[in-house]
Amino acid sequence: MNRIIGSRTPIDDALAKATGETTYTADIKLANMCFGKLILSTIAFGKVKSINYSEALKIKGVIDVLTYKDFPSTKYNSALRFKGHGILKTETVLSEDVRFVGDRIGIVIAESLEIAEKALKLIEVEYEEFKPIIDEEAAASSNVQLHEGLDNKVGTISTGSDADKVTELINKADFVFEDKIKIPMVNHVSIETFSVIGDYKSKKVTVYASTQNTFAVRVLISDVYNLPLNKIKVIQPTLGGSFGGKLEVVTELVAVGAAMKVNRPVKIVLSRKESMIASRTRNGATIKVKSGVNKDGTILATDFRILTNTGGYVGSGMNVIGAMSHKLLKAYKYPLRYTGSPVVTNTPIAGAMRGYGSPQAFLGMNIHVNKIAMALGIDPIELNMKNIVDKNEVDILSFGNPELKECVIKGKEMFDWDQKKKDTTEYNKQNNGYIRGIGFGIGAHGAGVYPAHQDCINLLLRLNEDGTFNYWSASHDMGNGSLTAQKIIISEVLTTDVIDIESTEVNTETCPWNLGDYASRGVFVEGEGAYKLAEAMKSLILETAVLKFKVNKEALSIKDKKVWLDDTELGSFGDIAMYAQTTLQKELSVLIDHHSIAGRTSYGAHFAEVEVDKSTGDVKVIDYVAVHDAGTVINRHGIEGQLEGGIQMGIGYALSEKMTFDEKGNLLENNLKKYRIYKANEMPRVRVDFIENGDNGGPFGAKSISECATVPSAQTIINAVANAIGEQTTIIPINKEEVLNIINK
Amino acid sequence: MKLMLNMTINNEKISVEIEPDSRLLDVLRDDLGLLGTKEGCGVGECGACTVIIDGKTANSCVTLAASMEGCDIKTIEYLSKNGKLHPMQKSFIDNSALQCGFCTPGFVLSGVNLLERNPNPTEEEIKEGISGNICRCTGYEQIVKAVEDVRDEKYIKDGACDE
Repeated sequence: MNRIIGSRTPIDDALAKATGETTYTADIKLANMCFGKLILSTIAFGKVKSINYSEALKIKGVIDVLTYKDFPSTKYNSALRFKGHGILKTETVLSEDVRFVGDRIGIVIAESLEIAEKALKLIEVEYEEFKPIIDEEAAASSNVQLHEGLDNKVGTISTGSDADKVTELINKADFVFEDKIKIPMVNHVSIETFSVIGDYKSKKVTVYASTQNTFAVRVLISDVYNLPLNKIKVIQPTLGGSFGGKLEVVTELVAVGAAMKVNRPVKIVLSRKESMIASRTRNGATIKVKSGVNKDGTILATDFRILTNTGGYVGSGMNVIGAMSHKLLKAYKYPLRYTGSPVVTNTPIAGAMRGYGSPQAFLGMNIHVNKIAMALGIDPIELNMKNIVDKNEVDILSFGNPELKECVIKGKEMFDWDQKKKDTTEYNKQNNGYIRGIGFGIGAHGAGVYPAHQDCINLLLRLNEDGTFNYWSASHDMGNGSLTAQKIIISEVLTTDVIDIESTEVNTETCPWNLGDYASRGVFVEGEGAYKLAEAMKSLILETAVLKFKVNKEALSIKDKKVWLDDTELGSFGDIAMYAQTTLQKELSVLIDHHSIAGRTSYGAHFAEVEVDKSTGDVKVIDYVAVHDAGTVINRHGIEGQLEGGIQMGIGYALSEKMTFDEKGNLLENNLKKYRIYKANEMPRVRVDFIENGDNGGPFGAKSISECATVPSAQTIINAVANAIGEQTTIIPINKEEVLNIINK
Repeated sequence: MKLMLNMTINNEKISVEIEPDSRLLDVLRDDLGLLGTKEGCGVGECGACTVIIDGKTANSCVTLAASMEGCDIKTIEYLSKNGKLHPMQKSFIDNSALQCGFCTPGFVLSGVNLLERNPNPTEEEIKEGISGNICRCTGYEQIVKAVEDVRDEKYIKDGACDE
C-alpha cells in the first residue's frame, strides 16, 4: 500500500503561483537591462533588399538597430537536442532570405519596450518578393524550390508492414475505403508568451529563457557564437505553459547576440501575435488513408500517408514524422503501412506541440475508421474493438502492457454509451431545433525518446542537518507537474513529504545534465531517475546509521523521516546528517544517472456527446468521458489536471482552432479574439478515470499522460458530430456551413 | 509630457508619474513593481491581466492608466497582503486548480469578485463568471471546483484581506 503515490498533491510551487509571487522570465529585471523588439518580415517569401533605420536611430532612448549583417551567418537547426545531433541546418539567427511572414531580419534595442515599438514603426524594409506557397500539397508538387538545394518534400519515412502485402490485403477485402483529410496548423497559446533575457559579461553568457530545453540551448549558443560550454549559463525561471512551443530555440540566440553588441542585458518578450507567427506551431497535415475492410468490420490492412506542413524551415520536421511513424502501429493490431514526409512552405515554423505528430495521425485514422463504421452500420466501439491492440498480443517490452481495450470498456460504461445511444435517438425525434450525437475516439503516445537517441537524466540530492533535502533536477516543469511527481516518488521511498524536498530553478550551471523535457519523459524517465536517487539516499542514510548506532544494516528501516531498529526509533534523518557532518566530516549527498532502456506506450479512449443547432450549425459539447492507461497514477491531482487540459485543447482542435493564411502568407487568426480558445462556459462536464494495471518499467509502474491526454480528443468530438448529423464532416475544425449543408440535404 | 496619476492600489494611496498613453498593466508592473499581474494577449481577451477596479474585474492591458485617476484598484498582491492566504488562494492550491500558474492571479481575482457579487452561484454561473479568463493547462474543471469550495464555505477567512 503506497503512502503518497496516487494521492492528491498540489503542484510543488502552488503557493507562489496562487499569490502571484512566482517569477517568470518577463518578470526579471537585471541591472542596466534594455529591451529588444524584433524586426519581422512582412512578406512570406523573398529577400531583404534594404533596411532603412536612420529615422529610428534618431528617437531618444533607442540604443541601436541591428540586422542580419550584424549577426553570425552560421546555419543551425533550432530543434537540436544535444551536441552532435545530426539534423538538417537551414536556419540563421537573423535572415536576409525570408521564408514566412514573421521571419526574423533584425532587432531594435531601446531603453524601454515602448520606445522600441515606436522606433520599429519608423523602420522601412524593401524586399525582393517571390510568390509564396502556403499549402503542403502545393509545395510538395511545385517546381519552385523554397530552399536552395532542398526538396520542398524534405524526406520520407516509411514503417510498418510491407507495401505489397498491404496492397494485396486491401484488394482481398470486401470493401475498400479511402479518405483524404486536411488538418490545419494550430497554436499552443501558452498564456506566457516566449520570453528571454540575454546577458554577456566577462566573456560569459547568461540566458534566462522560457524554455523546455536549457542544455540544448547551451549547445546552440556554443555552436553559433563559438563559446565553450562552461562559459554559457542557461536558466529556466518558472515556465508559464509550453506544450512543446518552447522546446526549440526561438529568440535566445538573438538576445545573446544583441547583448554582445550593446554590452547590456537585452530582454525580448514576444507579443501574442509575434508568439503566434514567430515562435512555433503544430504542423498542419494532409492525410490520405486507404483501408481494406471486411463486412464484419475487421480491417485487413491500412495504407496511411501523411504530408506535414513544417513551415518556413525544416526544423524538427523529420523528427515529428519519425516519431509519428510507429505510433499507429502501437494501437492497431492488423497490418498497417505508414509513409510520412515533412514539406516546407512559406508559413510559420512548425515544431513540437503536445503529441508531436500523434494528434494528427490519430485524428486522421479515427475519422477514417468512424466513417467505415457508419458505412457498414456497425457501432464504432464494436468496430474499433475488432481492430485495436489486445493486451497480450503485443510485444510487452516495446509496448508496455497496453490496456487500450480496458480503457474503452471502462469509459463506455462510465459514459453509459448504450443508454445514451437510445437517449439521443429519442431526443432527436423531438425535432426541437437541436440534434444530439455521441462519438468515440482512441489515441496513444509514448514515454521518452528511446530508442531514437540518448535519453538520460542526472540527479543530485543532499540531506541537510535538520533532515530536509535539497534536490537538483533539470526537469523543466512547465506546469505539468513533472518535478512534483519526482518529489512524490522520492517521498514514497524516503518517507518524507513533498514540502521536505526543495528544488532550484533549472540552471545548466548548477543542475546535472538532462535531455530536455519532451516526449513525455517527466515521470517515466526522470521519475525513475528520482526513484533510483531516493533508493541511493536511503542506502546512504542506513549505512551512516550503521556507523552511528553500530547495528546491522539488515535490521534497519526508515519511517516518518527516522531510522528504526524494528519498533525502536534510533534517530531522525537530521541526527544522521549531523553525525555525518561532525563525526565523519562529510555531507550525505547522492548523484545518480539514469537512462531509459525501453519506451512505453500510454493509451486513452474518449467519449463525447454533442448537441448541434440545426439553424446555425453551432456545436456544443454537453458531456465528456476519458479513460487513460498511464500505468500507475503518481499524483491524482496532477494526472487529472493534465488530462482535462488536454481535452480542452482537443475540443478546440475539433471545433474552433486554426491558423489560416491569405495568399500573401498573412495569418488571419493573429490575436486571441480571432484564434478561438475554449473558455470555461463552453466546456462540458468532464469525467476522467485511469486503468492502473501491471508493471510497466516506470517508477512504481507509471507511464505517461501529458501528451497522450490530448491525442484522442479532437476525433471524439468530430465523430460525435457525424453521429448527430448522419454524415462525417470533411473540414477541420468543424465548419458550420458544412454542417448545415449536411443537415439540410 | 508626463502626467501625475493618483489612485489607491491595494488600499494604499499612490502617486506616480506616467506617460499619457500608458496602459494600467505597465504602470502596475514597471512603475509600481506589482509583477503578479501578467500580460498574455494585449487585447483584453485572456484575462491574465485581470485587476479589480472600483469593485469590478477589468483587463488592465486595455485600460488606459490615465483614466484611473481617483480609482480604487486591487491586484493579486492585495489578497495575501497581511501575510495570510485568502480562502480562494487556499482553495486553488488544495484543488490543484493551477499548473503553470500564469493565468492564476487573474482567475483568483475573478473568482473572488464573482463571489462578492453573487455569493451562491450555480456551476453554470461560476463558469460564466470566469469566462473572461483563459487557461490552457487545466481545462477549468479544478478551477470551477476551487470556486465551488469557497462558495460552500469550506475555508474560513482567518484574517486574510478581502475584496
